[in-house]
Amino acid sequence: MTPPAGLGSSQLEIITMKTVKGIETLGAWILGALWFLPVVFAFWSAFHPAEYSTNFELFAPLTFDNFVRAWGYAPFPRYLLNTFFLVTMILAAQFVLCTLAAYSFARFNFVGKNVLFALVLLQLMIMPEVLLVENYRTISSMGLLDTIPAIGFPYMASAFGIFLLRQSFKTIPNELVEAAQVEGVSAIGILWKVYVPLARSTYIAYGLVSVSYHWNNFLWPLVITQSVNSRPLTVGLAIFGAPESGVDWSIITAATVMTMAPLLIAFILFQRQFVQSFMHSGIK
Amino acid sequence: MPRHYWNHINGWLLVLPAVFMIGLFTHYPIFSTIYHSLFSTGTPTRPSIFTGLENYSYLIEDDIFRKVLMNNIIYSMCTVPLSVAMALGMALLVNRSIVGRSLVRMSFFTPTVLPMIAVANIWLFFYTPEYGLFDQISQFFGGGAHNWLGNPNTVLYCLVVMVIWKEAGFFMVFYLAALQQLSPELHEAGKVEGSSNWYYFRRVTFPLLGPTTLFVTVNAIINSFKLVDHLVIMTKGGPDNASSLLLYYIYENAFSFWDTSYAATLTVVLVLILALVTIIQFAIVERRIHYQ
Amino acid sequence: MSAITLTDVCKSWDDFEALKNINFTCEEGKLLVLLGPSGCGKSTTLRLIAGLESPTSGSIRIGDRDVTNLPPVKRDISMVFQNYALFPHLNVAENILFGLKARKVNKAEQEKRLKDAAGILGLDIFLGRKPAQLSGGQRQRVALGRAIVAHVPVCLMDEPLSNLDAKLRQEMRQEIRSLQQRLGMTMVYVTHDQVEAMTIADKIILMKDGGIEQHGTPAELYNKPATAFTGNFIGNPPMNILKPTKEMLSLCNTMIPDSVRGEKLLIGVRPENIELREEDGCEVTVVATEYLGADTLITCRVKEQTFILSRQGRLVFSDGETIKVGWSLEHTHLFNSADGKRIELQGGGK
Repeated sequence: MTPPAGLGSSQLEIITMKTVKGIETLGAWILGALWFLPVVFAFWSAFHPAEYSTNFELFAPLTFDNFVRAWGYAPFPRYLLNTFFLVTMILAAQFVLCTLAAYSFARFNFVGKNVLFALVLLQLMIMPEVLLVENYRTISSMGLLDTIPAIGFPYMASAFGIFLLRQSFKTIPNELVEAAQVEGVSAIGILWKVYVPLARSTYIAYGLVSVSYHWNNFLWPLVITQSVNSRPLTVGLAIFGAPESGVDWSIITAATVMTMAPLLIAFILFQRQFVQSFMHSGIK
Repeated sequence: MPRHYWNHINGWLLVLPAVFMIGLFTHYPIFSTIYHSLFSTGTPTRPSIFTGLENYSYLIEDDIFRKVLMNNIIYSMCTVPLSVAMALGMALLVNRSIVGRSLVRMSFFTPTVLPMIAVANIWLFFYTPEYGLFDQISQFFGGGAHNWLGNPNTVLYCLVVMVIWKEAGFFMVFYLAALQQLSPELHEAGKVEGSSNWYYFRRVTFPLLGPTTLFVTVNAIINSFKLVDHLVIMTKGGPDNASSLLLYYIYENAFSFWDTSYAATLTVVLVLILALVTIIQFAIVERRIHYQ
Repeated sequence: MSAITLTDVCKSWDDFEALKNINFTCEEGKLLVLLGPSGCGKSTTLRLIAGLESPTSGSIRIGDRDVTNLPPVKRDISMVFQNYALFPHLNVAENILFGLKARKVNKAEQEKRLKDAAGILGLDIFLGRKPAQLSGGQRQRVALGRAIVAHVPVCLMDEPLSNLDAKLRQEMRQEIRSLQQRLGMTMVYVTHDQVEAMTIADKIILMKDGGIEQHGTPAELYNKPATAFTGNFIGNPPMNILKPTKEMLSLCNTMIPDSVRGEKLLIGVRPENIELREEDGCEVTVVATEYLGADTLITCRVKEQTFILSRQGRLVFSDGETIKVGWSLEHTHLFNSADGKRIELQGGGK
């Protein structure tokens, strides 16, 4: 009984919807490919001889030579070790300091709490690198120039971390705390046995954000370090890759790939967690 | 001692380490930068002396400062809206159930995990005259060679393009998080009520994303003032300060010219700008507090 | 021209079959309730009618149009959602007029319809408010307002009252019913609450596991449940479903008709149909007594089976007391224990 015209128009509807969807998908793919291109290019250039840097032949010979030579020009293993120390130290200190402060802000009522919290949040806006001239002065007067802890100090008490953990602590139901109190658990015991385990996902999220921030941080370490002993990867790469250094482009890309590879590989392996963590850290 | 007091004491003891560190590296330097801006820079032969507002009057006269400030304003006005709009577009694209969605999302997000220094290295080569990727493409279509970064007219915009590539994916994530919080029921109601995709976006999605847009915009503005790593590698602020930004100029003054007092004076300006951004943000938040 | 007909509609996701061969018609101007426990497919059915999902196979007609592949907007329907789907940043008037603005209905017409709907629903003084400033019942009215101003013949409701408290729910369901009758809407209404279904429906479709258990008027579902499941689902407290053990059969000997003696049976009897008897009854033990005010529920046991009977007024028994009960043949429902289907008693008679 269905009039053929009716059937036709509804099929047309489906075709239009599918076309729109197809165009959207294609657009997303093209943009995605375009976005990934610079990274692909860096890898291409790092793994091929210099003459193929801009000559994209599918069967161009692969080589590790660029890496070997970059390795020879600058102490990259040392830089890598420095960065590793730096990131670990900052993260550990952040976890401790931010956990204690967040616990206090979330659970205790004390004189001046709100003012103090507002003062802490100021750091979200005016971050330590903005104040690098004065912070350099401070570190210098402490006699800590050119040390790895000096790179980390300004970031160890992080307003962002305190804020994030406080938010997460505040969602923990009071009943759980009261149940623990009835059992005779101390204030520190409650923090350690109730709050910290329940905020696990926040710790992971904050940890990933912090590690990627400090792995990549540059300006402050550049200012504060003077020797191979303390330089992180980013600073090492910048000195090595500066145009006036006259090093071959392919070798610079090899060094660049080395610098970004650890984080990039971790990201590609744990893509979901990374994206979820950054999302988590953005929800107020 | 009554329990009541312990609450205060414990509270203070727990925040003290963090508050001390933040005070030392954020609040103290804000005051010390103001203090130092009132003195001349000391040298081994001439010690630093109080000069009042002399540094500030120099600042007003300083052509380079004016140029750098203008650069930074242009740079912010380009990178902020474009990267935020790009981020929103990307989020809308990968929020739908399309084939290969997680791959596309990953690709958008990848620049976020790369160091700015590495990004600068890669893009430096893209912009290289004749051999760089852009010139190769330009030459393929019969165009000539360009000194992209060497030309005062193009250098800032070259940096803008790169920064959008670096940051859009990061901001996309916040939009994605917000989009996932929107109730699907609302969208269904929109469909039943006969709103077109564009109408629904304009009247519902975009307004509901307002808080996210504010958050992302503020972050983008702050980044445009505090992230200058790429200048060290790509242009050193040149040619002729055409690409210099405020924080880079501070860095140059402090660590290349060793004029720390003038650097402190410039820092005061930068802190004021960031404070202004904060105040504006709070004002907007206050005004929209009436719903939700 | 707004009857809704589903023909052989199936819906599956991957290997999950949500709906199996659904066939029914909702007549024009009637209120049809889709009733069932959660996961039975009632909401899916409604979403298929709305066009928010498309069926795996089968066809859906509204009036004389095949709408199976049409998007929601072309189906001439309105819909009220479980959580009302009000736009939090728009005020009441903007929410109600959202669809008219989207479809570019002219301003004067918009104003007129808004005024009418606000008058009907008593929303006049709230038009400038945001949803967050309204109570649950008021939000519900705004959602109804959106359905009213659409001026379309079909209205779909997805558990519209489930977020309201009991008192308000009763008020609103009367309001919805009278609105539906006044405007002559064809309405499909999803709920899991059998009381709601019984009180507002012209016809009820009881669903279970993606299939239709029974389609009929509330009275038909109550008086002649087609399956043991229906008997148990409709009515509060639910129908007693008893196994015909030797004891049960001998105890209730007089009540089981000879014609079905041999079959595997389940015996159904409603609590309100079981009488207390002086003589001629079966002896049972009282397990518990609950006094509800208007009536009393008495839980009794015969051997290992328990059942509930309900009587008006207040009755006092002590636990463990023996009482005599019975029920008449017309109140006996028999079901096949294999498939739960009703076995019709022929002619009655002992």
